Amino acid sequence: MNKLAINYKNIYYPPGGILLWIIIFLELITFGIALIFFVLSSKENPELFHTSRLQLNATFGMINTVFLLTSGFFMALTVKEFKIKNISKSKKYLLATMLFGILFLILKTIEYSGKLDAGLGVGHNSFFAYYWFLTLFHVIHVIVGLVILTTIYFGLKKEKLTTEVEDVEASAAFWHMCDLIWLLLFPTIYLIL
Amino acid sequence: MKRKDILTLVILIVLTIVTGLFSKFYSELKMVNSVILFLSGIKFLLVAFQFMELKKAHIFWKIILTSYLVLFCGIIILMLR
Repeated sequence: MNKLAINYKNIYYPPGGILLWIIIFLELITFGIALIFFVLSSKENPELFHTSRLQLNATFGMINTVFLLTSGFFMALTVKEFKIKNISKSKKYLLATMLFGILFLILKTIEYSGKLDAGLGVGHNSFFAYYWFLTLFHVIHVIVGLVILTTIYFGLKKEKLTTEVEDVEASAAFWHMCDLIWLLLFPTIYLIL
Repeated sequence: MKRKDILTLVILIVLTIVTGLFSKFYSELKMVNSVILFLSGIKFLLVAFQFMELKKAHIFWKIILTSYLVLFCGIIILMLR
């Protein structure tokens, strides 16, 4: 393990690493621009967007928000325990992180299948085109995040620990990025009128 | 440290529920969109500063992320007026 303490106050070493923070900003800008276009389209066709939005299940969205936030909470604990070399607790928290991530995906699958059964696919109207592209793009990020966390978990399970604190922090930063994106997607798509 | 994280999670969940209830029961209010975005913005900053430990980072990262959020919410609110 890395014995050197990282100086986060250095501009080049934000928690998670500068490269990951560049990715985080690129992702936030991409989603931000897409959401601005979504709102622009809703101004052009307010009735269609209003009636379409009423067909979304905001309760599902709220529960999914709680799942992601709880997952993020356990991820933060994973990093903290890893830093004090409490690997067994770190592994348990990481499993809890992944569990809530999987719960998010399960609920999203239920939501998607309901939409497909109701005939509200990508081609239904422009609102649902945005809905599918934006939420599916986010789901892809969550799946990639889960793959990264799984590799970290198996790294922690090894007897001879090769996982560095930077690896855990970088994967945590990616996972939290999924939270940040969802915290912009959820109100804009599900709640704003 | 752990207590702060637990408190942050509780605040985040409460804000999520308040946002949902507000959008459901006060949908006729003019400022409903601004309130929803404001509450979501607080959640965004709590996750970034507490869970991502941005509070420990150089001020540059704190300013740039907060500026992004203000810009995003500002543009959305202006467009919805």
